[in-house]
Amino acid sequence: MLFVFILIISFFLQLALPWWIVAIVAFAFSAWKAATGKHAFVHSFTAIFLLWVIMGLIKTIPNENILANRVGEMLMLPPSGFTWVIVLLITGIIGGLSAAFAGFAGFYSGVLVKKKEINKRLP
Amino acid sequence: MNKAIISLIGSLVLIILLNSKMGDIPPLGKFLNPFHGFWENAESRSASEEMELKLEGLHGEVIIRLDNNLVPHIFAGNNYDVYFAQGYITAKDRLWQMDFQTRFAAGRLSEVVGVKAMELDRYQRRMGMAFGAEQMVKQMKKDPVISRVIDAYTAGINAYIHSLSPEDYPIEFKILNYKPEDWKPINCALLLKLMSSTLTSGSDEFYMSNILNKYGPEVVKDLFRDYPFREDPIIPSGTKWNFKSLAPPELPDTLLSSPVALKQKEEGIGSNNWAVSGSKTASGYPLLANDPHLDLSLPAIWYQVQLVSNDMNVYGVSIPGAPGVIIGFNKDVAWGVTNVGADVLDWYHIKFKDSTYKEYWFNNHWNPTKQRIERIAIRGGKTINDTVMYTHHGPVVYTKNQKPDNFLKVANVPEGSALKWIAHMPSNDVRTFYMLNRAKNHVDYRKALTYYTAPAQNFVFASVYNDIAITPNGYFPVKRKNQGKFILDGSKPVNDWQGRILAEQNPTVKNPTRGFVSSANQSSTDPTYPYYINWEFAATERAIRINSRLSVMNLATVDSMRSLQNDNYSILARNILPVMINAIQLSQLNSTEKAGYNTIKKWNRYYNAHEIGASIFEIWQKTLIIKIWDDEFSNKNTPMRLPSRDRTVELLINEPASKWFDNVKTPVKETRESIINDAFKFAIDSLSRKYGVLGKNWEWAKVKHSHVPHLAKIGGFGSKILYNGGSKHAVNSLGESNGPSWRMVVALGKRVKGYGVFPGGQSGNPGSFYYDDMIEPWTNGKLNDLLYLQSAKEPSARIISTWILKK
Repeated sequence: MLFVFILIISFFLQLALPWWIVAIVAFAFSAWKAATGKHAFVHSFTAIFLLWVIMGLIKTIPNENILANRVGEMLMLPPSGFTWVIVLLITGIIGGLSAAFAGFAGFYSGVLVKKKEINKRLP
Repeated sequence: MNKAIISLIGSLVLIILLNSKMGDIPPLGKFLNPFHGFWENAESRSASEEMELKLEGLHGEVIIRLDNNLVPHIFAGNNYDVYFAQGYITAKDRLWQMDFQTRFAAGRLSEVVGVKAMELDRYQRRMGMAFGAEQMVKQMKKDPVISRVIDAYTAGINAYIHSLSPEDYPIEFKILNYKPEDWKPINCALLLKLMSSTLTSGSDEFYMSNILNKYGPEVVKDLFRDYPFREDPIIPSGTKWNFKSLAPPELPDTLLSSPVALKQKEEGIGSNNWAVSGSKTASGYPLLANDPHLDLSLPAIWYQVQLVSNDMNVYGVSIPGAPGVIIGFNKDVAWGVTNVGADVLDWYHIKFKDSTYKEYWFNNHWNPTKQRIERIAIRGGKTINDTVMYTHHGPVVYTKNQKPDNFLKVANVPEGSALKWIAHMPSNDVRTFYMLNRAKNHVDYRKALTYYTAPAQNFVFASVYNDIAITPNGYFPVKRKNQGKFILDGSKPVNDWQGRILAEQNPTVKNPTRGFVSSANQSSTDPTYPYYINWEFAATERAIRINSRLSVMNLATVDSMRSLQNDNYSILARNILPVMINAIQLSQLNSTEKAGYNTIKKWNRYYNAHEIGASIFEIWQKTLIIKIWDDEFSNKNTPMRLPSRDRTVELLINEPASKWFDNVKTPVKETRESIINDAFKFAIDSLSRKYGVLGKNWEWAKVKHSHVPHLAKIGGFGSKILYNGGSKHAVNSLGESNGPSWRMVVALGKRVKGYGVFPGGQSGNPGSFYYDDMIEPWTNGKLNDLLYLQSAKEPSARIISTWILKK
């Protein structure tokens, strides 16, 4: 469920806000909902990886991948008709990792805050 | 606790890194994100058919119809709106190119790429590029018509820029991570001055001064002649001059020396144009052709446009960033340009009073210099203040010890000399094109040319009234013969430019008896022209080929013009190959060399893509030229240039025993025959090493590997390697990455018809299908039909999209 929240909210916020909003979204939802650090990491990664790959596909298919292939060459990838696939995967991974680390940090920050609250409640 | 803090810091660092540009790597997170990053620049094949835009600043409605090459056909009710729309639509397709080239010209690249462009910026500033552009703006402001054109064009560009959000920026802005800034009228001037710089900044004064010092005036006279051995000038030999010339003061040359290096004039920056009279065409109306050669780049150098207003309907190519059409046609006339190569850049040695450079000696007294402070802002660094001293000649580009080492561009600048350069002149060249765009006949053409300053061009012309003409035209300073062949003494008033040749006395010819006019950067006139324009022009080979084909042409058609533009025949090979082949000693050749010999013996002297003979000849003749001259004229401490190809040909054919064939650096005595044999073996050997056994891989196209690189050399954004023929000394002057930047043929007649193609596309976006769609017809030597619409309503199946701009 965590990854669905992150994916949908990130989609809407990214329409208007800079790309790094995905990290904030992952951070916040992981702090709130994640069960473990691993859970936060995996769900944050999957959400943004999928979001960016799907959005990239929507842009690149009508373009017959000409731009993504050129960018692949710019990034020193070996030129071929499928360079764009690698560029798309890199895109997903960069986005995914940005969210994943933020989610991981979010989970442990959440733990910290929750601990403090528990401590406060103790007599 | 620890885990939270460490992971939080780690995460923040990652985000910051992915949001910043590191070296040449774009900010990856920002760049790759599919919402605002580069994926946004991936365009689909289909454009929206109808679009309506509201643009503040327009006076009335403008209709822009885009054809299947994405060429805009702009229909406006008045001239303000037509140039506004031209600015708008050009910016839509070429904004980054316009921004980058302006920055390049103005010496402002460091602002976006950082310290690595600092020396380049400094050089551009010190050469006076911005100073020249300021002069041009001042002059344009005095002309109310032209200043309004510039204002309208500028407003149109800005209307487009202001409509953009960051995700809409051209991809190069995203890669280099910066924003477009507002357009200013001076940017138009900078782009026009950049063309001047490209076409007139080669200078040989240093080389020539060094040669004079080393070998003396006799050798200079023998090897660096003032008129070619073989020539076929632009204005046909024997044309009479019907004016009395203003003679410049005669004075023996004052010779100065300075041990400096030079960049050599790049061959391949030249052009062809011609017009054929109706008496020689199938239609009975003139045909006009033009192909300007430049260093090619993507986005394409030119931008096609049709402009229609209340007093004009013109089609042709424009420079992105300058209003109007530079090369094109309307219903009555067509015109085109090639570079003249006039001597309009001189170096003056300056005697300064002291090391403050505040005063210099001129006309027998000390004169104050003017200081201009150039502020160069460097991205990720501090701003540098660079002071340039100006004499009345122009800027002292580098004073003593100021010249940077290891920067190739400055190699031709003599330290302590002032630069007098046409690009610094106040000028209003836009006026010429404004008038040509509206010209109806030969009189209008002649009038338009009087406003033109630089870079001097051979303006070819044809009209529906069956007039053809050509005029080497521009501001030609009145100079004595050879003034500026060497560095000049800057203290003597007699060495200054003495005004200009009156525009009506510029060489010109109308309807010559031979039935055609042409130019290919060769000498403007025969030696009877009373003024000095330059002592050396481009080699005449292309001109000879063009003229010999045109003179036997009858019932010419558009296709005959196209075939001549794509002519790969080498006059150089015709001239020297017989001597070279005769000299080969067959008994000394090994089997590969023999095979090479048999191939080149059978070669038809065409630089066609599949010819192996062309590959062998190219390397053979280049090596031979080096073997003849390099021992005497190549010296690190006293840099010189080599004698011209014309002189080399003469030497090879007519002076077999010349002392120049001997390599003075070896104890043995080399002869013409021995170095021809050595050069041949070298050529075969180097081809074998690079391309294996003589066969398919030796084909000229594979050896030449033509391609069109990206303007900022971004990998993947250039063209693929192209399979084509052509050579720098053939009419089809298509080299590795320079050559015909636009090929145009216009058939005048009751309804004018244009044909044209350039190596690129209308769009500047590498993510567009229209970025390089014309490269294929171009490399295959085809021309596209140009759609010349008579009205906004005229139906055409080629229109893919219509935009309505409302105020």
